[in-house]
Amino acid sequence: SMFPWQYLALLLLIVVQICKAQRCDEFTDLNFGHAFIGTSIRVKLLLYTRGNGTCATLLSHTNLSAQPLLNLSRPTTFVIHGYRPTGSSPVWVNNLTELLLHREDLNVIVVDWNYGAANVNYLKAVENTQKAAANLTAFIKIMQEHGASLTSIHLIGVSLGAHMSGFVGANLNGSIGRITGLDPAGPQFTGTRPEDRLDSTDAQFVDVLHTDMDSLGFREPLGHIDFYANGGADQPGCPSTIFSGTSYFKCDHQRSVFLYLESMRQTCPIRAFPCSSYSDFLDGKCLDCDKFGAAGCPVFGYDVTQWERVLLKLGQTKTFFTTNSMSPFCITSAYRVDVIIWNRDARWGYITVKLHDKGTEAVATIDHKSTKFQKYTETRLFAQFNKDVKSVDKVSIMFSTGNVFKPKYKLRVLRVRLTHLERKDRPLCRYDIVLEEKTEVTFRPIPCEESNF
Amino acid sequence: MDIEMNSFTHNGNDAAPHSSNGPVTASNTADVTCRASEATETDSLLTVQVSASNGQSIPSSPTGIQKNAHTPTEPRTISNIRRELNEVVFWKVKMWMVIAFILLLILLVIIISVALCSAIHRDPDETFDPSLFKVPVYFNGSFLLPNLALKEEQVTSNYSNQSLSADLQNKLADLYRYSPALGRYFSKAEIRVLWNSSVTADYQLKFLMPEEQQDALRNFTLSREMVYNVFRQFLYDQEPGSSEPLYINPRSLKMF
Repeated sequence: SMFPWQYLALLLLIVVQICKAQRCDEFTDLNFGHAFIGTSIRVKLLLYTRGNGTCATLLSHTNLSAQPLLNLSRPTTFVIHGYRPTGSSPVWVNNLTELLLHREDLNVIVVDWNYGAANVNYLKAVENTQKAAANLTAFIKIMQEHGASLTSIHLIGVSLGAHMSGFVGANLNGSIGRITGLDPAGPQFTGTRPEDRLDSTDAQFVDVLHTDMDSLGFREPLGHIDFYANGGADQPGCPSTIFSGTSYFKCDHQRSVFLYLESMRQTCPIRAFPCSSYSDFLDGKCLDCDKFGAAGCPVFGYDVTQWERVLLKLGQTKTFFTTNSMSPFCITSAYRVDVIIWNRDARWGYITVKLHDKGTEAVATIDHKSTKFQKYTETRLFAQFNKDVKSVDKVSIMFSTGNVFKPKYKLRVLRVRLTHLERKDRPLCRYDIVLEEKTEVTFRPIPCEESNF
Repeated sequence: MDIEMNSFTHNGNDAAPHSSNGPVTASNTADVTCRASEATETDSLLTVQVSASNGQSIPSSPTGIQKNAHTPTEPRTISNIRRELNEVVFWKVKMWMVIAFILLLILLVIIISVALCSAIHRDPDETFDPSLFKVPVYFNGSFLLPNLALKEEQVTSNYSNQSLSADLQNKLADLYRYSPALGRYFSKAEIRVLWNSSVTADYQLKFLMPEEQQDALRNFTLSREMVYNVFRQFLYDQEPGSSEPLYINPRSLKMF
């Protein structure tokens, strides 16, 4: 007769657990109506830990001990969103918290300031960043009083959120460990003083990604390291006309978050090359990574902290990389292509290189500008392939000038050398080829010998 | 010219009822049908409508006249151009034909000159004077013929030392003669085959270069690296593991 009671108790316990589990706190979901009327600032702190995975719990701004899941001996990462013109919740927020917790045992706190960010009047949202920053600063100070160390705090700010992170960091005298700015907002911040925006003094280490500097993003470098994805302005796969609807406005800007998420997944590293401009980078003028020693050039994203020390020493580093249009965005296979010709007169043109390996074919088109080839002078090209080819069996090269009413020129090549940028393979060479315009030449490359010219 | 005359008389006929301001006639057919359809909607206003329309049509009558003169949508300037285009220049040739011919001629001249330019274009890199090539450059080295070493007796019966040397000489000469960069400088290849435990061939390559630009040629086109690697990549292009007697082991190639 005792048995039914035991079962009943167990059942009750399960019911209680389920009820508890269902009480997840969520990101404030507003609609365009709210944004139209305008919202006043209200900051909500949502805590995610490995203990509560995808189910957020609301944090009290003052009474930290009320939430036992918050363990201040762990590092804490804040996720701060940007302007919400429609009031919707950001699509990436759950992915980001999950990946953060997957990578490290953290307190992840999503700073939900949707009340304040949702406003058709952008200027009001900009105004609210200062208020939200003050609120967050107060909270971090309380955390500090409860034993949290500022160096273990990381702020990840998107767009306006990046500048908010900067304000918080400045309020705390730059003693926060790290700030990551994902395409920091440009409008109302471009041309302002460092104290009115994110800058490298706001934290011990500031890393910034630029993806839309020609409209919603910020053009100038803001951190210790600034990554300019695809030059920082236009992202591959993003619509170039307004006919594609709202994605025309936000695609480039939002790509910053997707690139950062990809870096956390560690599918493939995206190497970023220090350079003064994107065109120099595309010209292959910035492929030298010697100053970073054995680690090579910094890898973009979450794990750039490996380069923190050398980057701090360098002060400010502007870096570039190219991506594919879809996830995983990384370009896995990049070669330096050195061409030396014997034509009497200089030749200008574009080069397309294909790598073949038993049916797979990787293509790199070097057409960002017309390249000049000169007799007995090595011309360096930077070939970024859309695919990775492990062992190159054959190589095809095509030369084109884009001229219509001119005779077909020939590029008379003494030597072409392909050097993989990541693998320490022996470079591949081919000697003595004539590339007639628009005619693909296929050959089997041979391992290069050390060269004299 | 007859047509013009006709249309003028027609104009005069047309204008007459308008200026006389009489009742609505067939002069402006479009106007009448339009008003009539309006009128059917409100019968009582029929007379008023008609008279009103009549009054309105008076100021617009001069343009109306011109419209009726030629095809209804043509302003005067276009009709003038048309007339001038149709003017006979000589015999049966009209103005528009002359213009079209001139345009076609211009286009033809452009196309021909472009085609001629590409056809005439002489590649400066393909023109050279071999009589100026006097300064000799030599390259010596050796390679192994593994297929001959394997079946020595069998092959020696087929291959005399001399014919083997000659075949190898031809092979090398062809290789360099057809090289786009080196071909013009190539002079001859000499081979000496040594039959030891392995079959080795010693070779000497002779190139001739012009006196001018000697240093540049020596450092680039006729450098050891070029001459050696053109040979080397040729050997790598052979079928690997071929049983052909003249197969040369790429790894055994040496050049000094």
